[in-house]
Amino acid sequence: MPSLNEQLLLLVALQDLDTMIREAEDKVHADKLQAMGFPLEGVDDLRRARKELAESIERPLLTRYERILGRLGRAVVPITGDVCLGCFAIIPTSYTSAENRDRILQCENCGRIFYWPRGT
Amino acid sequence: MPESRAKAARGRVEEGGESMNHQELITLFSEELFIADLKARDRDGALQEMVDHAAKAGIIRDRDVILGMLKNRESLGSTGLGLGVAFPHGRSLAIPSLMALFARSPKGVDYGAIDGKPVQLFFMFIAPPVEKENRYLPALGQVVEMIRDEQTRQRLLEIKSFPEFRSLILGED
Ligand SMILES: [Zn+2]
Repeated sequence: MPSLNEQLLLLVALQDLDTMIREAEDKVHADKLQAMGFPLEGVDDLRRARKELAESIERPLLTRYERILGRLGRAVVPITGDVCLGCFAIIPTSYTSAENRDRILQCENCGRIFYWPRGT
Repeated sequence: MPESRAKAARGRVEEGGESMNHQELITLFSEELFIADLKARDRDGALQEMVDHAAKAGIIRDRDVILGMLKNRESLGSTGLGLGVAFPHGRSLAIPSLMALFARSPKGVDYGAIDGKPVQLFFMFIAPPVEKENRYLPALGQVVEMIRDEQTRQRLLEIKSFPEFRSLILGED
């Protein structure tokens, strides 16, 4: 298995953290977890972790991420077939080669950044 | 209705319209993600051992991303809800579909659980950011509910194999 571009993995981790913060702040989601007994008091810790992680990402890439996030809600989308799960546009086959999975590529239609969660 | 089906039906939880019965729940678990003898004794070691296990089974590719997400989730609030059980969970781009893993630590893990007690039973759920069938929270809720029963916890400490785990979840005694 080829190891992914380190900067792309940091973006994936940042997107995961942003998802977690958003869900912790979403009343419906938080109420469900609290009803199960899960305490959710560390949102400030998550924000600190987010700030630290963001600082390890190259500035232009982070700016690109933040811009897409602000515009579309999610900046990185997992690809498991040949469709962008952000906008459902077909991804050109020239994008989906094995070596491209290690590169930071954006959807030609919506601009979201692609990530392949599967190795193959 | 056979006893097992009746039990499963009783075990149904309602969660704002979302529900999951034990038959659906068991389909999320698998033999390859069943760990009878977790070696790690502290929280980070236990999370790492479980994630490594899933990586070796070929379920996940970027283990560090998943591990980072699970540790962040613990800093939001411990998923060790007490009574020796923890439910590490969260969403990650690095998982293609909902994954459930069961692990047991015969010696117990120092997990920072709410009641301070060591954790011996782990139910891990990792979901993709967007999930078509929305099974993540209903599955988590179902297991949390199921584990309130002391006899179930005791049985989970004694079982030796995935088929026994499966029978226990389905109530086939
Ligand atoms: Zn797109």
